[in-house]
Amino acid sequence: MEKVLLRNIDVPDSHTLAVYKSRGGYRAFEQVLRGMSPEKLIEEVKASGLRGRGGAGFPTGMKWSFVPKDSPKPKYVICNADESEPGTFKDRLLIEKDPHAVIEGTILAAYAIQSHTAFIYIRGELVFGSKVLQGAIDEAAQAGYLGKNILGSGYDLELILHRGAGAYICGEETGLLSSLEGGRGWPKVKPPFPATHGLFGCPTVVNNVETLATLPWIIDQGAARYAAIGTEKSKGTKLFSVSGHIRKPGVYEVEMGYPFKRFLEEDCGGVPNGRKLKGVIPGGSSMPVLRADELEPVRMDYESMQAAGSMLGSGGVIVMDDSTCMVQAAWNVARFYAHESCGQCTPCREGCHWMEKIFRRIESGEGEKGDLDLVLNISGNITGNTICPFGDAAAWPAAAFIKKYRAEFEAHITQKRCVVI
Amino acid sequence: MESVKLTIDGQEISTAKGKTVIEAAAEAGIAIPHYCYHPKLPIAGNCRMCLVEIEKMPRLQIACNTQASEGMAVQTRSSKVLEARRAVMEFLLINHPLDCPICDQAGECKLQDYYMEHDLKASRFEERKEHERKREIFGPYVVFDGERCIKCTRCVRFLQEVTHTGELAVVNRGDHSTIALFANETVDNPLSGNIVDICPVGALTDRDFRFKVRAWYLKNTPSVCPGCSTGCNITIGSYQNRIARFKPRINEEVNSHWICDEGRYCFHPLTEVERLTSPLVRQEGGLAPTDWETALQAALSGLSAATPLAGVLSGRNTNEEAFLFARLVKKLSSQAAIEAVYYERKLTEVEAILKSPDRSPNFRGAREMGASPNGGFEPLLRQLIGGKFRAAYIVGEDLLSLAPDGEKIKNALEKLSFLVVQDTRLTPTARLAHVVLPATNFAEKEGTYTNRKGRVQKLNAALVPPAGALQDWEIFARLQNKAGEKIFYQSPAEIFQAIAHEVVRYQGLSYAAIGDQGVQLSDET
Ligand SMILES: Cc1cc2nc3c(=O)[nH]c(=O)nc-3n(C[C@H](O)[C@H](O)[C@H](O)COP(=O)(O)O)c2cc1C
Ligand code: SF4
Ligand code: SF4
Ligand code: SF4
Ligand code: FES
Repeated sequence: MEKVLLRNIDVPDSHTLAVYKSRGGYRAFEQVLRGMSPEKLIEEVKASGLRGRGGAGFPTGMKWSFVPKDSPKPKYVICNADESEPGTFKDRLLIEKDPHAVIEGTILAAYAIQSHTAFIYIRGELVFGSKVLQGAIDEAAQAGYLGKNILGSGYDLELILHRGAGAYICGEETGLLSSLEGGRGWPKVKPPFPATHGLFGCPTVVNNVETLATLPWIIDQGAARYAAIGTEKSKGTKLFSVSGHIRKPGVYEVEMGYPFKRFLEEDCGGVPNGRKLKGVIPGGSSMPVLRADELEPVRMDYESMQAAGSMLGSGGVIVMDDSTCMVQAAWNVARFYAHESCGQCTPCREGCHWMEKIFRRIESGEGEKGDLDLVLNISGNITGNTICPFGDAAAWPAAAFIKKYRAEFEAHITQKRCVVI
Repeated sequence: MESVKLTIDGQEISTAKGKTVIEAAAEAGIAIPHYCYHPKLPIAGNCRMCLVEIEKMPRLQIACNTQASEGMAVQTRSSKVLEARRAVMEFLLINHPLDCPICDQAGECKLQDYYMEHDLKASRFEERKEHERKREIFGPYVVFDGERCIKCTRCVRFLQEVTHTGELAVVNRGDHSTIALFANETVDNPLSGNIVDICPVGALTDRDFRFKVRAWYLKNTPSVCPGCSTGCNITIGSYQNRIARFKPRINEEVNSHWICDEGRYCFHPLTEVERLTSPLVRQEGGLAPTDWETALQAALSGLSAATPLAGVLSGRNTNEEAFLFARLVKKLSSQAAIEAVYYERKLTEVEAILKSPDRSPNFRGAREMGASPNGGFEPLLRQLIGGKFRAAYIVGEDLLSLAPDGEKIKNALEKLSFLVVQDTRLTPTARLAHVVLPATNFAEKEGTYTNRKGRVQKLNAALVPPAGALQDWEIFARLQNKAGEKIFYQSPAEIFQAIAHEVVRYQGLSYAAIGDQGVQLSDET
């Protein structure tokens, strides 16, 4: 398979402009400046079939086309580099190893909607990544890819790197906007949507790092070539961050539609230490866990994952072998969401902590009959009833752990101890 | 205006385009439960109590942020909706202290009300409740209970969007989220009390009111604030013939949903005084109690004998009182001057959102009733100090403590050959009088005020005056009768009828039609 996203990362000094350019970098942007209209650029991205890699899988070209062309307000493009989903560390790799791809992608998106100010909102903890990125931005500006009258084209673009202060919810696009506006990282009620009322009430596109980093390749190589990779509805390649009980953890670039089981067993080397696979979360901690016995038909694309009852999400693959206590795993995930809930809306603010407390009780041997149905009910009462998808992201995994491993939870409750040896 | 048709619970409704489902439903008399939504604040959408089911939408939608659109079919009471509401109620209550027995909000608390309507189940929550700050002083009038707070952010939004003072913010995350003051801030802006009113639960309570009376014991009387000539509409809450609190009463033409702090608490000095319960007449050795007949006769003889006469009315007297007073004073002395007390002061930007620069709620009405033929109160005061008058009849104001030149006024009043003071208490001014007539305060009387902008509004009696005092209008009417002009009014309503005949700008108005929202005088003349 030809690498789209990780094509540069093994080259020494891949983060520098010189290396990036030597490998065809900024060719796409120069080509666009030489005569591709913003409309044509949007069409091209639509034709590629690229879908957002931030978690929701929304078609990228379509997202851009919602931005009003005749708005008198400034327009903004934001690269979402807040990557905080547990089990997800792919954006970080791109930022550190191929920052110019991220920058060029951001520039292309900005050009497509004719924005003159773009931001990269980077997770505060990524200190090294921010330094690399800032260095690359400075280099790009020096070389004339940013600033006024870029390469004599008359197009202006300022790119600002903003470091977050460390909250998972600031990765949710409207939470990110509130944070970038200088407020509390509270997601906004929708409608209105960011495409028309985003940053400071102006039309805004928020795209994930990986989504944006794919763009230079698509424009350089052509939408058709990209669309030829992957499945009918899930085009191209995707990065997967693999962690947990696995022989070769790391970031993998995989063609959409690749068999999940084969990926885990062959590409990642399978579960080590003679242990058996117990379950795997395929798309970051927000997504429902899959049992080992469910994996056979699952392919690594949006549709197949959904058919299996989970989601591709951010591509954070968390592998758990048979030494894993699923009660503890569920509690661990629930604790994360209880801690990170922004607290704005009632079901999530109260429900996440409630679920966490029940899981903690079960884990510490104080579970009661009825607890499991109660959690399922709480999870159901959160799902779909919150301001932002964080509520679902907290509710789904909690329910999935119980549904998939109910016997283990029940044993935990009746025997008042962990039953995993 | 463009309109859209939709159905809510099967009922066909037409509403203006741009309205939200919660507004359209309210117009049709369908109440959708809500906490964070407030018609005068920006939408927050955080409580999730207003979830409704909308045809063709897979998820429940919040009615407060969903625009009504053509053909929309909304269900506000489907089983899915009821279950979602029950769930929201349950979530709101899991960490709630449920200290209703000692909570001032009890009886008018949306948590209690909606729980009765939508949950009514024992809690399934068996974990440890999160604790929060209790009894934190937010400002001179407002105290916060963090455990009762439901984080609806109404208070925060009010301070951001209405007063623009921004003293409060949400801090922390998850179920530790809470409302807090910015460093070195207090909620002491001139409209601060309103956040207590809009807090749907007992998280913000009124330091002045709390623990005085349970809400359900209050007698509520619609009236008008006597604080200034904005004439904010209020509800007087009283208990055992004392005022416990003022609450704003909605009137979009006047005060919307708000009142200012000064107005809110002005009833204390105005009503909590040692009352006069008998007329007094000056005799050797000072003022001595007497009966009304004697006192009125003494007042009449004294005032008619000494001319010119100055008639000074309080800015809090009603139109009906001013109407009779103006006539009376003119009858008593051909060279009379009559004025209603009126001073202006400077308002800050926040005060000016609501307040008027005076403390005379009915100065305009009084003038229109004929109580200002001389060009203002201050000129009259100067004339009084300059010794122009030989007699004065002062109603409802303690002139000595009012004006900066109290000493000069005192000298002037002492030089008068006759002084009548009509008031609720024995003020320093009253102590100088030859006759003192015990009267009533704003909360004991019925009648009308005309606000600064020419809106005629109704006061209703919330309290019963003490035995021995008379209504001001009755005192004027009796004096008038004694002076030989036969007056047969039996009530303020009848006086208003006379006003509607005789005062040009009030012609055609009817007392009954004033209602609880008032009527606007037309602009000309
Ligand atoms: C709780 C939550 C956290 C999220 N965190 C991230 C994140 O860290 N990075 C990201 O790109 N998208 C994140 N998203 C998704 C964004 O809201 C948004 O959909 C995405 O940035 C859009 O980019 P895309 O269209 O390129 O996928 C998060 C969503 C939720 C609900
Ligand atoms: S769902 Fe959770 S994270 Fe999202 S706005 Fe509501 S409280 Fe905040
Ligand atoms: S806020 Fe309401 S429910 Fe809570 S203690 Fe007070 S009265 Fe009771
Ligand atoms: S104090 Fe009252 S108004 Fe303010 S957020 Fe809490 S519940 Fe809402
Ligand atoms: S009233 Fe609609 S969410 Fe609170």
